[in-house]
Order: sequence, then C-alpha cells, then structure tokens
Amino acid sequence: MNSEHAIPHEGNDTLHDMPALRRFLAGIGFRTIGLWQGPVRFISDAAAVIRQSCRPTTWRRSIRREFMRQCYLVGAQALPFILVGGIFVGFGLVAQAFHWLKVFGSTALFGGVITTILVREIAPVLVGLIVVGRSGSALLVELGNMKTQGQIHMLDAQGIDPFLYLVVPRVLAYCICMFSLTTAFVAVALLAGFFSGMLVGITQPHFFDFLNRAIGSMGLQTYVLFALKTLTIGFVVALISCKMALSLTGGSARVLDLMPRGFAKSALATLIISIALTILF
Amino acid sequence: MAVILEKQRVILRFNKVVFRSATGHGAGSDEVSLSVCGGDLVLIRLARVEQTTVFADACAGIIEFHSGSVSFLGRKWPDLPPDQANALRGRIGRVFNTGNWVNHLSLMDNILLPQHHHTRRSDRRLCDEAAQLAEQFGLPGLPLALPGDLTAADLQRAACVRAFMGQPLLVLMEEPTSGIFLEIISALMGAVREARERGAAVIWLTRKERIWNDQTLPITRRYRLTAKKLREVTT
Repeated sequence: MNSEHAIPHEGNDTLHDMPALRRFLAGIGFRTIGLWQGPVRFISDAAAVIRQSCRPTTWRRSIRREFMRQCYLVGAQALPFILVGGIFVGFGLVAQAFHWLKVFGSTALFGGVITTILVREIAPVLVGLIVVGRSGSALLVELGNMKTQGQIHMLDAQGIDPFLYLVVPRVLAYCICMFSLTTAFVAVALLAGFFSGMLVGITQPHFFDFLNRAIGSMGLQTYVLFALKTLTIGFVVALISCKMALSLTGGSARVLDLMPRGFAKSALATLIISIALTILF
Repeated sequence: MAVILEKQRVILRFNKVVFRSATGHGAGSDEVSLSVCGGDLVLIRLARVEQTTVFADACAGIIEFHSGSVSFLGRKWPDLPPDQANALRGRIGRVFNTGNWVNHLSLMDNILLPQHHHTRRSDRRLCDEAAQLAEQFGLPGLPLALPGDLTAADLQRAACVRAFMGQPLLVLMEEPTSGIFLEIISALMGAVREARERGAAVIWLTRKERIWNDQTLPITRRYRLTAKKLREVTT
C-alpha cells in the first residue's frame, strides 16, 4: 500500500534528457500508467483480502477478535439507527407507493414496485451511505491516527501484519454488516409501510397477504442482486477507507483532511456500484 | 551442559551492516558488526532518540540497509518469507520508545495482542502470566483501562510487562526506565535475569548518561553508536 515506486513525472531529470519524441511518448506512457495504477492497486488489494480471508492461518485469535469488534461497531451499534431509518422510509415509501397504485387502480403491481424501488435500489444505497457516514469516517480516523502515531510500525515490529490485523477483518466485517443491516432495513421498512398503510386505511389488515405480495414478486435475480450489491458496497467502502488511511503520510492534522475526501470517494463508489450492478442485472 | 550451550547460541548477528543515510540514499554509517548470544545483556548507547528506534527496527528486520544483513537465530531477515519473518518477530519482546499502544484496545488487550496473534496458549494462562509480570513491575494488577487513561509511569511499567510476556528469545528495550528509573530498575533487572537464565538475549538501547555510567548493572558488553560507527567500550 505504500507509494515508494512512484512513477516519475515530467519534471524528472530523466525525462528532460530525452529527445522530444521520446519525451512525448514517455509522457503518454507515464500518464497512462498513472491513470491505471490506482485501480490496479485497488484490485490487487481486493484480491489480497479475498485470498487472505480464505486462508485458515489468517484467522488467529487476534484477528477473530478484531473481526468481532468490527462487527459490533459497524453492525450492532448501527442497528438502532438503521431501524429508525427503515421505519421512516417505510412510512413514506411503502405508504405512498400503495396510495398511488391504488389511485391508478394498479395495486396488483404493488409487490413489483416495492421490490424494485426498495429492495433493489433504495435500501442498499441508503444503508451504504449511512455506513459510509457513520462507520467509514470512524474507520478513517481510527486507522489514520494509528498510522500517524506509529502504531502501525509497532504492529509490524511485533510480527503482526497490519494488512491481516487491520484490513482483512474490517473489510469482511463491513461486507457482512452491510448485508445484515440492509436486510434489517428492508424488513422494518416493509413492516412500517404495512402498519402506516393500515393506519390510514390504505392497506387491508392482512399482514401475510401484504408480505406474500412483496416477497412473492422477488425472483432469484433480485435476491442475487441484493446480496451482490450489499456485499460489494461493504467491501469497497471498507477497502477505500483502509487504503486511504494507511497510505496517509504526515502528522495527525492530515487525518482530518482525509474525512471529506474519504466520504466523497466512498459515497461515489456506493452509487456507482449500485448503478453498475443494476445495469448488469 | 544443554543450558550452557543454549545460552551461547547466537541469537542476533549484524553482519557488516551499513545503515542508510537519513535521506534514504547511500551509506549513512560505517559497517556495523555485532553478535548477541543467549544470556547476553548488551547496552548500546546512541546519540539520538531516532537512532534507538532505527537500531531496534534493524534487529527486528523491518528496515532495509544500504548493505550487509541482520540474522535472527541464524536466519537472515530478508531471506525469510513474510509469514516466517512475522512468526520470528513474535519471539522478540520490545519496549518501544514511541507508538507504544493501540489506542482503541485496553491495556490488557494490548499486552496480550502479540501472544494472541502468535501463540495458542489459553487466555487463562496468558492472563496469569501477564498479571504476575504486572505485579512484578509494580502495577496493582492487569490494567483494563485504555492507554490514554493511564499515567506515563504506569504505561512504562505495562510496556515492560508486554516485552517480557511469552518468554521471548530476544528483548529489545528502548529506554525502558524512562522517567521511573528508581521505581522500576530492580523489577526490570529481575525480569532481565530470568530471561538471561533461560537463554534469551537482552539489548538495552539508551541515550542516558546515568544508565551508561551505572556500574551496578550486570551488563555483559557495552557499545557506543556514534554518528557513523558502533564501537565496543570496555570498562
């Protein structure tokens, strides 16, 4: 994750010594490499996380504990917030959808509409953004401080690979928590929608009928998309935050600079993943 | 006989090591050669605080040199695969100068972290050993608070506990008595004696005149690392 093999830029002496044509071509080469370097490194780190998480020797006591701690911080502690968010979205979205479909006489489409809007689109993105804002920023600060205060060096000196101890459990915990939180969010949103509809007289008080219509319209493709979206968003958000924090150089003042950049990158990644997977499926 | 042989085993060897200069380019020192055997207590005096960290890092094989190599238990650090190198680093106890603690873990978890990572010893046995060492170094028990909630003196004691946990083969001590010399020296010497008796080597890195001149310490060899050279000093 370090940048010791930085690509020479055009101001380098080597470039100035070259003839004009070679300098021009070298400039194009350097820019192309520079453009691809980030994504390629990201993909190689992602592959390393997957590879390491499949090795039984990775899961030592220290790493298992860190994984559990992250699950608690990212998942359990965020659950009340996610549930409240789900209730509000459920009240708004499900009730409105049912109301307008009833107005147009298309209540039969209810399941399909809810599935498409809530399960496939809104829930993964909304929970992703909540996780980015709540836990992603905390991760950036925690690891950024560890880097600037020499704690990463301390782990290294004790034979504890910082990639194994800090990155692998965080990325996997974010994946699992993202999936679990989104599932909880969808469940609560649907429940809230049902009860809100019932309160204002839009829906009939037949909960299982309501649930059947919603769940029945979700095919295998929707389940796969839901799992893929949530797991990928969790994975990418955590990896982006870990990479940014661990490549930090300079004093602790730089940690605060990381937060807006980290949030923007992670939020953008969440939206891009959601759109890309929707197009693919 | 076996104990004597064990004590004489070379634990750490600097073979014509030339440190990089502060800029990272070219040689920054003359050749440094040093062998540390089991049972040794080597005192090395350095001029600057950064030098103690660099020297300790060199012992643990986490920095690169301009030339030369460092071997731990007969194996050169750069030749080892990362997993093996990390496993061997698990046999080194260290009192750090800076960046001593993972801030979000309790001090107990910090102390046990290397043992949890490198060994399969039960939690109960680890806690018992840590509590015993904590008591030896003058702590009321195994500290459960976060590192930020403890005094500098208690953190220093806890750093010593961590360094001697798990019977390390090599103990690197960067200013272990910083700020609490009188309070900790007898406990520290007790722990050092136990470590040496079981065949471990101890390297004490210091900048302090007081420690360098203290003839009561059972130092086996003394070295002074000047800007460019490591020189053995006989007293």
